[in-house]
Amino acid sequence: MKKILALTIGLGALAFSSCGKKDDEKKTYALVPPSVSNFWEICRKGGADAAEELGADFEFVTPESITDQKVKIEDLLSKGVDGIAMAPGDPANQTGFINEAAGRVSLVTVDTDAPDSDRKVFIGIDNYEAGWLAGDLVKEAAPQGGEVVIFIGNISQLNSRQRRQGLIDNLVDREKDPSRYDAPGQIVKGGKFTVLDTMLDGVDSPKAKANAADAITKYENLAVMVGLFDYNAGQILEELKQANKVGKIQVVSFDEHSNTLAGIKDGSIYGTVVQNPYEYGYQAIKVLHALNNGDKSMNPENGIIEIPARIIRKDGVEEFEKDLNAKLGK
Amino acid sequence: MKKILGILITLIVLYILTTIIGDNFLSPYNQEQLLKRTALYGLLAIGVSFVIITGGIDLSIGSVVCLVGCGVPWLVTQHQWSPTMAVMMAFVIAVAIGLWHGFLITKVKLQPFVVTLCGLLMYRGATRGFAEDKTQGFGTGYSELRELATGKLQITEQFGIPMPFLLLIGVGVLAWILLNKTIWGRYLFALGNNEEAARLSGINTDRMVTLSYVISSVLAALGGLLFILDGNSAQPSDFGNFYELYAIAAAVLGGCSLRGGSGTVVGVIIGAAVMQVLKNMINLADWLKSHMEFLIVGGVLLVAVVADELVKRRVKK
Amino acid sequence: MLVAQGVTKRFPGVVALQGVDLHVAAGEVVALIGENGAGKSTLMKILSGVQKPDEGNVSMEGQTLTGASVAEAQAAGIALIHQELNLADNLSVGANLFLGREPQRFGWIERKTIHRESAKYLAKVGLDVDPEFLLSGLSLGKQQLVEIAKALSTQAKVIIMDEPTSSLSQGEVETLFGVIRDLKKEGVSVIYISHRLAEVQELSDRVVVFRDGENVGELGPEEMTHDAMVRLMVGRDVSQLYQRTSHALGEVALTVSGLRTQVHPDKEINLEVRAGEVVGISGLVGSGRSEVLEAIFGMTPAVAGTVQSVLPKSPREAMAMGLAFVPEDRKAKGLILDLSVEENTSLASLKQEANGPFLNHGHEVALCEKMTTALAIKTPGPWQKARFLSGGNQQKIVLAKWLALSPSVLLLDEPTRGVDIGSKEEIYQLMEKFAREGMAVLFVSSELDEIMGMADRVLVMREGRLAGELDRADFSEEAIMTLATQSQS
Repeated sequence: MKKILALTIGLGALAFSSCGKKDDEKKTYALVPPSVSNFWEICRKGGADAAEELGADFEFVTPESITDQKVKIEDLLSKGVDGIAMAPGDPANQTGFINEAAGRVSLVTVDTDAPDSDRKVFIGIDNYEAGWLAGDLVKEAAPQGGEVVIFIGNISQLNSRQRRQGLIDNLVDREKDPSRYDAPGQIVKGGKFTVLDTMLDGVDSPKAKANAADAITKYENLAVMVGLFDYNAGQILEELKQANKVGKIQVVSFDEHSNTLAGIKDGSIYGTVVQNPYEYGYQAIKVLHALNNGDKSMNPENGIIEIPARIIRKDGVEEFEKDLNAKLGK
Repeated sequence: MKKILGILITLIVLYILTTIIGDNFLSPYNQEQLLKRTALYGLLAIGVSFVIITGGIDLSIGSVVCLVGCGVPWLVTQHQWSPTMAVMMAFVIAVAIGLWHGFLITKVKLQPFVVTLCGLLMYRGATRGFAEDKTQGFGTGYSELRELATGKLQITEQFGIPMPFLLLIGVGVLAWILLNKTIWGRYLFALGNNEEAARLSGINTDRMVTLSYVISSVLAALGGLLFILDGNSAQPSDFGNFYELYAIAAAVLGGCSLRGGSGTVVGVIIGAAVMQVLKNMINLADWLKSHMEFLIVGGVLLVAVVADELVKRRVKK
Repeated sequence: MLVAQGVTKRFPGVVALQGVDLHVAAGEVVALIGENGAGKSTLMKILSGVQKPDEGNVSMEGQTLTGASVAEAQAAGIALIHQELNLADNLSVGANLFLGREPQRFGWIERKTIHRESAKYLAKVGLDVDPEFLLSGLSLGKQQLVEIAKALSTQAKVIIMDEPTSSLSQGEVETLFGVIRDLKKEGVSVIYISHRLAEVQELSDRVVVFRDGENVGELGPEEMTHDAMVRLMVGRDVSQLYQRTSHALGEVALTVSGLRTQVHPDKEINLEVRAGEVVGISGLVGSGRSEVLEAIFGMTPAVAGTVQSVLPKSPREAMAMGLAFVPEDRKAKGLILDLSVEENTSLASLKQEANGPFLNHGHEVALCEKMTTALAIKTPGPWQKARFLSGGNQQKIVLAKWLALSPSVLLLDEPTRGVDIGSKEEIYQLMEKFAREGMAVLFVSSELDEIMGMADRVLVMREGRLAGELDRADFSEEAIMTLATQSQS
């Protein structure tokens, strides 16, 4: 009896399902980062603004892990979105899955590319070049050279690995070669600089802070500490304050975390290399919409839309922040 | 039937609710995904339910998932092992872990919570060590092996039953037979209710407890293998994080008492399904925000457990 | 002074007390006796405010108590001393006396006051110890006196003592009796609960007998004979309860030699039981009786020694030698309460009857049917959880579980504890039947009547060793108690 009841309810539910369908006129686009951070908040804003201009719906879903990123995207596919912009957490291994998703809806990658996949377009920077820019900043901050330690969430993603390599290659005066790889912990020497270590925190801020503290304790003659994920510089600065070494050790940052900007304003951080996450999100949604309308005009030959990185120092920080806040609607 | 009625009703209610508030919930694609996820987490939940039935707990499941999920592709892609050898190695290690847990708990008389908590830390640490914190996966190769997780038994053109779900059914049937039709199953329930009385009745309780930890580790390894074959990407630092808690939650939802001595396989599988439908609902419904997932999952779990407790009390009276 | 009227207390499934009256005059020592489960402890809990009666009331010096709390009873002057003492081992004697009602000033405990007051009450019970002394350093007998001092310090006028002598040596018992007589002189009343009928005769002014939740009679000093008390407690002549027939004994079925238990590793136990023989082990609580059975069965493996020819390290090894063991605490050790009657009955013999690893359900059904009939187990069905059966039926299930294996030696620890009188009789008949059929039966009991009624031979234990052995012809309460309590000379 109960089974029959359950079956009836199930069938009733089936009938209901047709009510849940979206109206076909309005498109829905989704943006799926690999993790949660301020960087992706800014990106979200760009995407949301683009969707509003286009009269489309916009969804921003935040996975807990790379595994969960897959689950989240599968659910978006179930739900029936019209396009997905994603930043793959592990491009090399996710290629198959990205192809599966790209077979169902329009798909672009932002920030991190999956070059071997069927993604239509990649929107981002060349991370090797951006890392190289950070190297320029370090050279400005410590013209006399010295010892450097690098702080980063992980180097399993191609973009973070290249970003770090660009920085190292610039510091030790090598030729540009994005395919080069120096293992963390390996001391790299050249020119005026010595890169002592690269400390990984697994995108865990408290761990990042502890790493900074350990480095300050371990290496007495540090000249520069470079934070390559957006939260790293802020955590480094906290530890420098506690160790009373602000100003004695220079800090170079990446991205525009609010702590970073505050640090640049008061001089405790020398400068930062900023990407343009707002533009990533904005362009990604525009491109998706164009693709859906059969408009190939935004689709470049090589499949890459490069949004260049910039350097922000103390002199430009006020203006940059004003612009940022305007974009975020603050 | 009485024992699983509560959780079955919960599943049905959630199903109807999600059909109404979610988009395309009943689409074949989504149903396939749900079956697959239920299978992956259900395998872990069946494993831990054996331990819970004996009155123990296994917190190391997520880390075993990580160990196997990272270890197998690591062996295959970086050390050129054959996939068969790598998978066999994974199960050998899982059996060893189960035996080790059993030894520490029954012979050294340590508490299961402590033993498996140390396991949780150690196996993840070991994985991060040998994998050097690098993300592991099979890249674009090994598609035959990956069929185990990504393959389907096509029913209609649009809908197929995912391989992992078929595996879940197989494992579920075996688990049911073990629990209900063999003397070992009877022994497990007996010692979970009252270990001393079971020992005094001539049951080798130490061996049975150890068996339960071996089953838990082996199913965690199977789960870990399927997770990596399906997702193809495992970060040693977070792959399988909290999976032991999802498994325990599913087992408890499915009628296992953490005091030991009770539980049903069917209930546990339904419990795993409830968790997955709930997560799916949050993603599919427009007005539920995905960053509130934990709040909603935790809240619904609590409501379900409280309701179940109240129903049981009423039945007792 | 203390009057209980028409007190009734029901628990799910049982009426623990049925319209009980009890009155105690000032300075009177009233003994309360009855079988286990007769309702003595429930009445005590009601008198001391731990439980509330369903009907009836308790009054103290004319004031009716609401029965709401222990504090109320205490304020009225009623104190209860539990059998297992409620003292904190790692606190000083003085701290124990004032535990929970420490004299304070501005939140600070006044140690000096505690010291002074403690010394006063300790003197009253004739205990010469420093209040700063740690309680764990005192013997059980002295701890008992500390409990009494504690009761006195609450200005108690009625002190209820639950089996105060169950773990005391003879000397300590005499001290306690002296204290009780002194209290009596000062007008303090004592309600004294005991199984030791000889003590009851010696000490009390009046005996109140309980059976099945009712007050079945009171005896004055002249009527207080041993037989009269037992007859009231049991409801019939003892000779009817314990029916033994004489039969020829067989070969030696159980040989224990050089057994050293973990609790008393310096004492060796040697004993033999022959097929068809029923041997009782007597002795005070804590004399190591249960430990001997547990070591023989491999439950708590012995340090050294042999049973038959080996030292059993686990119950499984003992079972392989044909041994079976019915533990004292059947709920904690004998049964799986949440398994069914059928599952409990088949638990020990599952493996023997299984088809490989698979359960032989047909055999389980048949076994349960056979056993419920043979042992007259009353259950609504084989599916009923053991939890919901009465104590007597639960005990029979434990017996059935072992009979399924046809053991040659049956070990029983307090086989009739917490069992109603009817089941008791049935269990005695079963023990007799097993012996007649050639089983060797070795049982531990705290009840002297049971020992004397059932055993062919009794082994008396004291402080971990066998202090002596008596044949049926030499049985007497005095002889057993002398062996159990006399200090080594």
